[in-house]
Amino acid sequence: MSSRLESTFHECVVQGIIETQHVEALEILLQGLCGVHRERLRIHELCLKSSPNLGNGTSEFWLVSDLEQPEPTWTVRHIGGAMRGAGADQISVLVRSVAESRVSKNALRLFYALGYRLDHELLRVGFSFHFQRGAQITVTVSSVNKMLKLHAIDEAVPVTPGIQLVEVTAPASGENYTEVVAAITSFCEHLAPLLHLSKPGVLTGVVPTAAAAAASLMSDGGGTIL
Amino acid sequence: MPMKWVLHWHPNTGTTVNSQILNEISLCVECINGVKEGRWKAVLTFYRPILRDQALAAEFPRDFLGLSLPEEPNKYYFILRGQRIVLEADSSIQVIMDKLQSYKSRVSLNFEGTQYRLGDFQVRVGKVVPSHSENMRGIVMEVEYLPISSTEKCRQIMAEFVDILQEALSKRSLPGQFMHIEPNFAEYGLLDHYTSQHTAIQYATVMAQLIATVQQVQPMRN
Repeated sequence: MSSRLESTFHECVVQGIIETQHVEALEILLQGLCGVHRERLRIHELCLKSSPNLGNGTSEFWLVSDLEQPEPTWTVRHIGGAMRGAGADQISVLVRSVAESRVSKNALRLFYALGYRLDHELLRVGFSFHFQRGAQITVTVSSVNKMLKLHAIDEAVPVTPGIQLVEVTAPASGENYTEVVAAITSFCEHLAPLLHLSKPGVLTGVVPTAAAAAASLMSDGGGTIL
Repeated sequence: MPMKWVLHWHPNTGTTVNSQILNEISLCVECINGVKEGRWKAVLTFYRPILRDQALAAEFPRDFLGLSLPEEPNKYYFILRGQRIVLEADSSIQVIMDKLQSYKSRVSLNFEGTQYRLGDFQVRVGKVVPSHSENMRGIVMEVEYLPISSTEKCRQIMAEFVDILQEALSKRSLPGQFMHIEPNFAEYGLLDHYTSQHTAIQYATVMAQLIATVQQVQPMRN
């Protein structure tokens, strides 16, 4: 992600939630489906918004740091508008534009000076899988935590205790997004017994079959195709 | 990365810069055995806030600069001199700034010219011109000592080399001289080991000097 073009792309995304008690089963299922080992996930995210008088409207972006890296660095992440139109409405995956830029560690100080304010900050803790399956798919399973004191990541508490967020994403271009959407949709069908995945903002809740599917997975280590 | 000084041409009182002076400086570098290596170009952009109420403009910085450097084509630098902040980012930060619609480019200046090699030194001589214009606003010179990255260890050898250049230039009786103002890098949180962020701060300092020079000349014209 070093050049200007590679750092701006489309992203296909679906989200869902799962009860923490079934996360281990989901991990076993994902391990079987992906054939790769999971990676630990610990990400500090700060949402910055422009002050009221700045800009034509309120603008926002995320300042993200992967705390699992030996020397954590910061990335500015801007999530643009979702693709619109009849075609976009018919697909079950959200396609949106994303721009990212790695920045030096004083980025927060600069953006404060420019008139941006911290809206909220989160700490995501969990794991992720990265694999190729019709697209370069990333699945993240994380507990979303909030900070009770500014930047106090060691004292973070879950926003929704007992519930974890599952996100499936894949980068796409303007030309190939239909193939990427198809790849994500196909992959998500394998997870259906454990969780519903839908466009962000579309609430689907937990699935009734989750407990039985989890019990099955836990008993045979993911060998059964659901 | 190698230590670098960025110098600006300070015209004598009542004079301005022109292409003749730039040519003389280039010839002078060639006379002391500078070997042409090619062209170089850096672009410095002034940003201004997009405000709904102009009365609140004082709340936002007026000295917000962005800089692209030829030695780091995939990077972009932001500088706020007033608050002593320099930021290094991937060049895609420009796309993000466009999308945020909170600051917009007011004017861009190109620093462009010829690059020379003199033994362990690399020298770049160039003009400062607004994008889409040939109206020269200043002359700059970068002097880089390739073997050393320490700002402290390099200071004496840089000063001696620049003295040689200044002496060679003085024989041509040009109406001005190069000046070097070393910013206090520690105020920006930078260490002794030289980086492109040091260069970005030097460009912002040179820009402030060029603006001050123009402001000194203009009242005399009026």
